Amino acid sequence: MIKVNVKNDKIIITGHALYDDYGKDIVCASASSIIISSINCVLQFDKDAISYQENKDGLEIEVLKKDKITLTIIKNMLDMLKDLASQYEENIKIIGG
Amino acid sequence: MKFMILNIQLFAHKKGQSSTDNGRDSRGRRLGAKASDGQVVTAGSIIYRQRGTKIYPGTNVGMGKDHTLFAKVSGTVRFERLGRDKKKVSVYEN
Repeated sequence: MIKVNVKNDKIIITGHALYDDYGKDIVCASASSIIISSINCVLQFDKDAISYQENKDGLEIEVLKKDKITLTIIKNMLDMLKDLASQYEENIKIIGG
Repeated sequence: MKFMILNIQLFAHKKGQSSTDNGRDSRGRRLGAKASDGQVVTAGSIIYRQRGTKIYPGTNVGMGKDHTLFAKVSGTVRFERLGRDKKKVSVYEN
């Protein structure tokens, strides 16, 4: 299960969707696309607005600047992940936020 | 901060992690020669452990029900040919 843990200015995403085998996991593909496109969208506006760190457990995002654009994009990301979680409760879960 | 590369399987479990039915094996049975050619052995000692008769019993050598070859007398071990393509082991008293 993918766990999206929202703590103040940090979003820590860990785990695997385990919906299907590698290459066929649509829940993972959705979550990955939502997260990566949101990060890149923020960076398009301001390269210093957020930082992210990939590690063996998953991905850690830190919001560095709380401007309107950044917060809107991050909020949209979380809203979409919540939508996804409501449809695939066993594969992704949002904690906090 | 550089852009992330789109990897839509970022949160999928890694390739090859899907479960398989394999992955089991039995312990090694330590088969093979227990005495070498020219070695002096005592009566009753095991010379060769095998599955089936890779090597046949020769002079003064007996074969157990699991095809284990053992010396019937004390003496020197000799691995010899048996016909065109077979082997046998014998023990010759000193």
